[in-house]
Amino acid sequence: MDIFSGLMHGFSVALMPTNLLWCLVGCFLGTVVGILPGLGPAATIAMLLPMTYNMSPTGGIIMLTGIYYGAKYGGSTTSILLNMPGESSSVVTCLDGYQMARKGRAGAALGIAAIASFIAGTFGIVALSLVAPTVADYALSFSSPEYFALMALGLALVVLLAGDSLVKGLIALLIGLWLTSIGTDLFTSQSRFTFGQSSLLSGLDFMIVAIGVFAITEVLNSIADSEETQILPVPKGLRNLLPSWEELKACRFAFANGSIVGFVIGVLPGAGASIASFISYGIERAVSKHPEKFGTGVPEGVAAPEGANNADSGGALIPLLTLGIPGGGTTAILLSALVLWGVKPGPLMMTESPDVFWGLVASLYIGNVMLLILNLPMVPIFAQILRIPVYVLHPLILGVSVIGAYSVSGRVFDVMLLAGFGLLGYAMSRLKFPVAPLVLGFVLGDAMERALRQSLMMSQGDLSILFSRPISAVMIACAIVVLFLPLLPRFRALKQAAG
Amino acid sequence: MNKRNMLKASLALSALMVFTHGAHAEFKPTRPIELVVHSGPGGGNDVMGRALIAAIDDAKLSPVRIQISNKVGGGGATAASYLAEKKGDPHVIGIFTSVWITNPLVQQEANVSIRELTPISLMLLEPALIAVRAESPFKTLGDFIEAAKANPGKMKQSGGSPLARDALVRTVLQAKTGARWAFISFPSGGERISALLGGHVDAMVIEPAEAGELIRSGKIRAVAQVADARLPDFKDIPTLKEAGFDVPNPPQPRGLIGPPGMAPDVLKYYEELMQKAAQSPGWQKFVRDGLFEAKVLGPKQTTEFLTQTEVQMRGILQESGVKLVR
Repeated sequence: MDIFSGLMHGFSVALMPTNLLWCLVGCFLGTVVGILPGLGPAATIAMLLPMTYNMSPTGGIIMLTGIYYGAKYGGSTTSILLNMPGESSSVVTCLDGYQMARKGRAGAALGIAAIASFIAGTFGIVALSLVAPTVADYALSFSSPEYFALMALGLALVVLLAGDSLVKGLIALLIGLWLTSIGTDLFTSQSRFTFGQSSLLSGLDFMIVAIGVFAITEVLNSIADSEETQILPVPKGLRNLLPSWEELKACRFAFANGSIVGFVIGVLPGAGASIASFISYGIERAVSKHPEKFGTGVPEGVAAPEGANNADSGGALIPLLTLGIPGGGTTAILLSALVLWGVKPGPLMMTESPDVFWGLVASLYIGNVMLLILNLPMVPIFAQILRIPVYVLHPLILGVSVIGAYSVSGRVFDVMLLAGFGLLGYAMSRLKFPVAPLVLGFVLGDAMERALRQSLMMSQGDLSILFSRPISAVMIACAIVVLFLPLLPRFRALKQAAG
Repeated sequence: MNKRNMLKASLALSALMVFTHGAHAEFKPTRPIELVVHSGPGGGNDVMGRALIAAIDDAKLSPVRIQISNKVGGGGATAASYLAEKKGDPHVIGIFTSVWITNPLVQQEANVSIRELTPISLMLLEPALIAVRAESPFKTLGDFIEAAKANPGKMKQSGGSPLARDALVRTVLQAKTGARWAFISFPSGGERISALLGGHVDAMVIEPAEAGELIRSGKIRAVAQVADARLPDFKDIPTLKEAGFDVPNPPQPRGLIGPPGMAPDVLKYYEELMQKAAQSPGWQKFVRDGLFEAKVLGPKQTTEFLTQTEVQMRGILQESGVKLVR
């Protein structure tokens, strides 16, 4: 079956009323799960799985996959409104999204997030339907040295995120790298920095760190500055609640950047949506005409990561459907769901179960449109949250944060960690340390260390493996360029001062 | 009789009633049962727990609800110490796997040994295959071992933690043959398989459910199976012993376990529940679809099995150079 007739067949399956209904249910549940911090799509799908045993495989997978990509749409809502990331892939959206909200552009930020999600999500699906098998082979050529180079490139972007003081940025980065090394070392099974606490053996959860240093810190800051009335201005009128033409125009490149970066990284089994969102944000800033404005509420700082995390969904489904390889926690559950229904994901799925394969792919197109329709009208309503007076809003944020941290793995210990990270973030913001490098170090450090050690084990300790392979060599060269470009003006200034 | 005496008398009477009740009647759960698993939603143990509950519900075997309780952390340590704290609570049970045996051996923080808890029932063993990619020159396990002998340290195997079964299989094979090859850890199964398919490693110990479609489509080739007897779905593939390597077969068990010192009637109740659950259609389908090996044992045999496995694991881990703390 060629691609076109496959897709046509897929739409005839996906447009059946029951399947349409399941698609809607999945997208709606996904949006809700995305908005709630802590509870993620993986946990939701696992809990709903037993209820879907008796559904048809096509309807079931359409619904569960809807939860998966729907959550990525919803994740930005609380990032933008409350500086509280709803999903790990929306953490970076806090940086500019929340600042836009503080400037009275909350509705615009939400709208841009939805539009970027739609454009990049659709791009990911088109790419999935056109080039799935070819791209799967490309993903396999990626080995540990390439992953190391990718993470190194990501970390190099820290220099750009560092803000005014490079030293402070690097210190924050080191704290992030240290935090991510806590727990059991994969290679030796020895514990690192656990201080005898069995609760620390599995390491720190990214969501707890992120909610702590973003949401809790924001509440503490707001209290310290004694902001009394509503914290954020909400402009009146529908026109002011939607993105302006200028804002959309500023995002043109970000839409493309998020689409491509998200899809390419999504295809790789060893890198997830959070890494994709950080890297596309970094690239957006690196090529921007006004990089100094990032972090103060620029629309492209919302569009790039929100696009990337949605394009990632289309990419991540490729190894799952064409090779039976899940790239992350959520796709792993989708895989076990398919197996439970008797569908076997793998190289033969496209030919042996065309109903499920093409039905699912077609449902992704439909689901993305549904999500846009579900999300855009909600923008003005969500924006009203900011009218809530602070004496109500702050306890609400703290409550939701605590529930979110607890629901990650049901431990009070995590709630205490959350408080600890809130205080850490507060101390950092009072001392003018940027928090973004810490979070980036936390996300990338673990994967980067692993890739480096794997590479060295493969080459029996020979470092040249990192530079002798073309893809990794190019990425390391890019990392070096990214590291030194922003330093050039400073050197020039130094020279002038000296000369 | 004054009030205080009346209270004493009624207390004595109720104590007597409880006693006689306990001696004669069987234990029946009176509130929802908590089923502790050490993985988050979607992890291996969680999926097994949910399948078990669905099978029990479908066959209407339990008068009360059974709820999953995810006690994530420390590769089983959090769940094990949670169970240890629930001593005397008849409404809490958990699912163990082999990490409950190995983790306390190597991690100071994991301080609850499986011997302190009350094993209820072994449910299944997870078999494994040793696979190479289709383009690989190795047609048999012997070919791979010979190549590893000729180039010490050059051949590579992708796997998980050094405590996991795939690492243990390598250790016993290396000890038996004197060959040496690298073991490269990847956190997820997907990354391990990608490394194999991409040709970045030479071999992998893979679960049958993960491997089935890749074998059928000709992307990878199984050269041996890590099982005592050939699995029904992989009849043409020799076991380690048949391939010429008579090594101990490190098992990967999953089963049910209760808090320390579980009362005999409570233990009997759960034993019977699990025996019936193991026969239920839902559970049998789960075992078949996952290509597991059903192996159901009662409490006494499960305890013996776990004790033996612990001795075996200790030996293999020492052999592989992992530092033991207990």
